[in-house]
Amino acid sequence: MLMLARRVVAALSFAGLTAALFRLRGQGGVAQQQGGWRELTDVELIGR
Amino acid sequence: MSNSSDADVISLRGEKVGYSVAVVGLGTTGGHIIKQLLATSVESRPARICLIDKRPERVSTAAAVIRAANSAALVQSGGLSSGQVAITVGQADDPADAFHSSHIAILATDCGSHAALAIDALRSGCHVVSMSDRPEEVDDLLVLDSLARHHERSLVVGAGMAPGLSCLLARFAGNQLDSVLAINVAKAGTAGPACARQHHRALKSSGRDWVGHRWEYRRGGSGRDLAWFPEPIGPRDCYRGALPSPILLQRQYPDAQRISARVSATRRDRFTSRLPMLRKPHQDGGPGAIRVEVRGRRDGAVETIVLAVAAFPSESAAAVSVEAAQSVLAGMAAHGAHGLASWPDPGAVLSELRRRGVAIFTFGDDRFRSEAG
Repeated sequence: MLMLARRVVAALSFAGLTAALFRLRGQGGVAQQQGGWRELTDVELIGR
Repeated sequence: MSNSSDADVISLRGEKVGYSVAVVGLGTTGGHIIKQLLATSVESRPARICLIDKRPERVSTAAAVIRAANSAALVQSGGLSSGQVAITVGQADDPADAFHSSHIAILATDCGSHAALAIDALRSGCHVVSMSDRPEEVDDLLVLDSLARHHERSLVVGAGMAPGLSCLLARFAGNQLDSVLAINVAKAGTAGPACARQHHRALKSSGRDWVGHRWEYRRGGSGRDLAWFPEPIGPRDCYRGALPSPILLQRQYPDAQRISARVSATRRDRFTSRLPMLRKPHQDGGPGAIRVEVRGRRDGAVETIVLAVAAFPSESAAAVSVEAAQSVLAGMAAHGAHGLASWPDPGAVLSELRRRGVAIFTFGDDRFRSEAG
């Protein structure tokens, strides 16, 4: 029983450490904060 | 002709100029075609519109709209000035009669009748703009290429929202690239009841994707893809189906690695697609949208261009068909059967569509702004 508890605690700790590592050191960047849909003008459509 | 045009002539100056157009099918989209023809600039307006539909009440309604516009034009011009000619209304029980006296025919009937009508029109010396969005019928229409060339006429295939506007957007985006690698078209919403029925059929039928330089048939309703359309449509799950855009786009971009099309559907749409339509379709299934994503190479780098339109499919499809007709009459289209992806100057047509209220959107970058400037 004690062995099972130790394994659970170890697994949770490992999961927590891994998540913290990704959270703090991850390179995911920031989602695009500007842009989106923009209407094309006549100049852009026939100006080329 | 059941009703001679001469009895209906309302001419501001008594002269006959302009062209004659036959509109076959006066449902939701056909009604918008009439409005778009009336909204055309004075020098490009038709002198005569021949109305053809199986239901007499639809013909009467469309004729009333034209006569009201004529009356307004008479009032505005003060009787004899401005040189414009009011539009004459003709009606025909048999489309073949109308084709003999028309320069161009716009086919806005239910899918299934377009190929036979196109043959009649071409043999009568009439250009044709077909709005069919059924893949098998698009194939049948493209086969008429030699007939159209023989009669030195243009047959525009798939001049609606998708195909049609989707082809113009893809070609416009493709023109910005050195080579096109992949094109993905997504569509949401329907026009009138006939369009809704075709949408229902499309979801239960196999779709044709161009993958690795050959056609692959994929089950309708498979291949979920989340497509983000402009507001008010926003994000929609889209699925494969019997959609004709890849057929027309592949002819323009045979070297592309992948060309596919998807249509938006809810869980209920997919579940009931194998059954008959359980309720009567809406008179107008808008608002809707299309989104075209084109990936290709430019200056050695891979780039993606995303263009979209959010509008009522019935209105935008009507605007596309009328612009296509005017481009044909202006001599901008080659003889033979082809879709709008082969149009020589898609930007000019898109600009005209913009004037008709169809806003064209791009996602994110300033590519067009910097180059145009």
